[in-house]
Amino acid sequence: MLLCDFHIHTTYSDGSVELRRTIDLFGQAGFDVIAITDHVVNGDNSLGKLAHRFRYSVTAANFNLYLSHIKEEAERAWDKYGMLVIPGVEITKNHLTIENSAHMLIIDVKDFIPACLSYEEIFLEAKKQNALTIACHPHYMSAKSDRDTLFLWNNREKYARYIDAWEIANRDDVFNVISLKKYPYIANSDFHKPRHLYSWKTLLNCAKDIDAIKQCIKHNKGVALTLFRN
Amino acid sequence: MILLWIFAGITLFGITGYMLQMIAVRSYMDTPNSGEGMRFPRSFPPVSILKPLKGLDDGLFDNLASFCNLDYPQYQLIFALQNQNDPAYKVVQKIKEKYPSKDITIVIEHCDEGLNPKVNNLIPAYKRAKHELILISDSNVRVEKDYLTDISQHMDDPSVGLVSNMIKGVSGRSLGAFMENLHLNSFIVGSVCFLDKYLKLPCVIGKSMLMRKNDLEAIGGFRGVKDFLAEDYIIGERIHKLGKRVVLSNHLINNVNEYWGVKRFINRHTRWGKLRWQIGGAKYISELAGNAVFISLMPMALTPASRLSVLLAATAVSVKIAHDYYIGKKLRTDMNPLLYLLSPVKDLIIGFVWFVPLLSNTVAWRGNRYIIGKDSVLSPMPETGMWVFKHKVFSAIRAKLA
Repeated sequence: MLLCDFHIHTTYSDGSVELRRTIDLFGQAGFDVIAITDHVVNGDNSLGKLAHRFRYSVTAANFNLYLSHIKEEAERAWDKYGMLVIPGVEITKNHLTIENSAHMLIIDVKDFIPACLSYEEIFLEAKKQNALTIACHPHYMSAKSDRDTLFLWNNREKYARYIDAWEIANRDDVFNVISLKKYPYIANSDFHKPRHLYSWKTLLNCAKDIDAIKQCIKHNKGVALTLFRN
Repeated sequence: MILLWIFAGITLFGITGYMLQMIAVRSYMDTPNSGEGMRFPRSFPPVSILKPLKGLDDGLFDNLASFCNLDYPQYQLIFALQNQNDPAYKVVQKIKEKYPSKDITIVIEHCDEGLNPKVNNLIPAYKRAKHELILISDSNVRVEKDYLTDISQHMDDPSVGLVSNMIKGVSGRSLGAFMENLHLNSFIVGSVCFLDKYLKLPCVIGKSMLMRKNDLEAIGGFRGVKDFLAEDYIIGERIHKLGKRVVLSNHLINNVNEYWGVKRFINRHTRWGKLRWQIGGAKYISELAGNAVFISLMPMALTPASRLSVLLAATAVSVKIAHDYYIGKKLRTDMNPLLYLLSPVKDLIIGFVWFVPLLSNTVAWRGNRYIIGKDSVLSPMPETGMWVFKHKVFSAIRAKLA
């Protein structure tokens, strides 16, 4: 089984660990597959503007640099650890109310996708790039969290067909509603700090290559969850 | 005023200790590692390296990989785990795949013969050791290519029974890790050099112990130390009693501590303090007396502040920062010089931690709780009585705070 984490932030957005160190943290811990998914924040409201102001977002201007840096590190990770690193982004649509906010991972992204596009446009663009779309922390999280993003779940009738998988677990939270709806699922750390390494993860029973991994997640076969602890 | 002078006297005692530590460390570090005084041509006997593993240490992959890159003709690497679900298992599998030409054995065997979990890992590993020389090496150390060549030369001398190494803390990236590395690179290294140089006490650091199977078996093997928390100290002492020399090599090995919280730092040194209190008894008092920073701050806490008490504290703090910086330079550590300013804060914490062993003799280690007795003998936590009540109360408080 491949030990995987598809939701990882670095200092390209609001993570506290730079890309190279992040890769090393996961490589040193024996991971097989990870996706680097820094935020691409919508800049069309005050929250988004603040994120851009404080450089908590990958932008159209630095996207190519971001991608080439990931590619360079992916080669190093493969040579050193035998770990597959997939480029991705977390499209971050933040609004003042949690009902209007949504975060979604685009795994194996090739070109920049602005977060201010409509949901349909974002999903279709992701499909065009043959990328995987994952709904992040789609339901209420633990009491301490201020990151609830309910839009996709509340509008699942409309958007579920675009979504390849849903996060059934994010860091320490588990969303049983995903199980009840029988949606395809994965579990991720939403890594921002080194301590987040120890959290929910995905185990995949497939070959260690990007196409096999995408198929495995989409078809939701050979997918298991594990609470990775030391 | 009398109180102030008493504390000033003890502070002076501590500062003298710092000076002696600096001299001891300098004399160790200025001695060449290899060659000098050794017989040539020297032999390179094959070595079995026993690596007990539990969980993910910081930089585990690189730590283990460094043992696959040793510049040594013949050695066997044995990675020992208690079960396949240990997260370290995936890492050792990757190491084995990456170095197919190396003689690597992965041992997965549950062993609960003793109460020391490290020794429980070593017992199955030892059964697979092919060579006469065995090296016990912790999973949180990283070594250079010439490590084995350097330390094994001591074994050319048949009077040597055990070789252990000085360690330095490296790669800190968080507050707890900085404190841990500062403490290793000042108090631990300084004390070990001090004891070895001036008091000729056999000092063994369990992170690296090279010995012969014959000697180990003569002292009762690993089973003989299965219920000791300080198995390294006991092995060293018993080998010394066999009439063999215990050598402290000045080949520095890196103890990797990257992302530690302050709590983990405090927990480790509380455990080590309990261990030294149980082994050293009254000698343990010298540790507090030797903590000049903590002692020099006492007059300010216990009496109205005066110019003299401030001067005393400022002197002790400055000397300690200079002491730690000097030893750090000698050890060629990777610490940012500004971090040495943390040293007095660390010593203050260690001063408070010093009192814990006087009040409690229970330890939590690798997920288990024990009572620690004389010479660090472990006994299981009783299922009834005050201990359980105390444990339940503390657990409940911890759960509430989590």
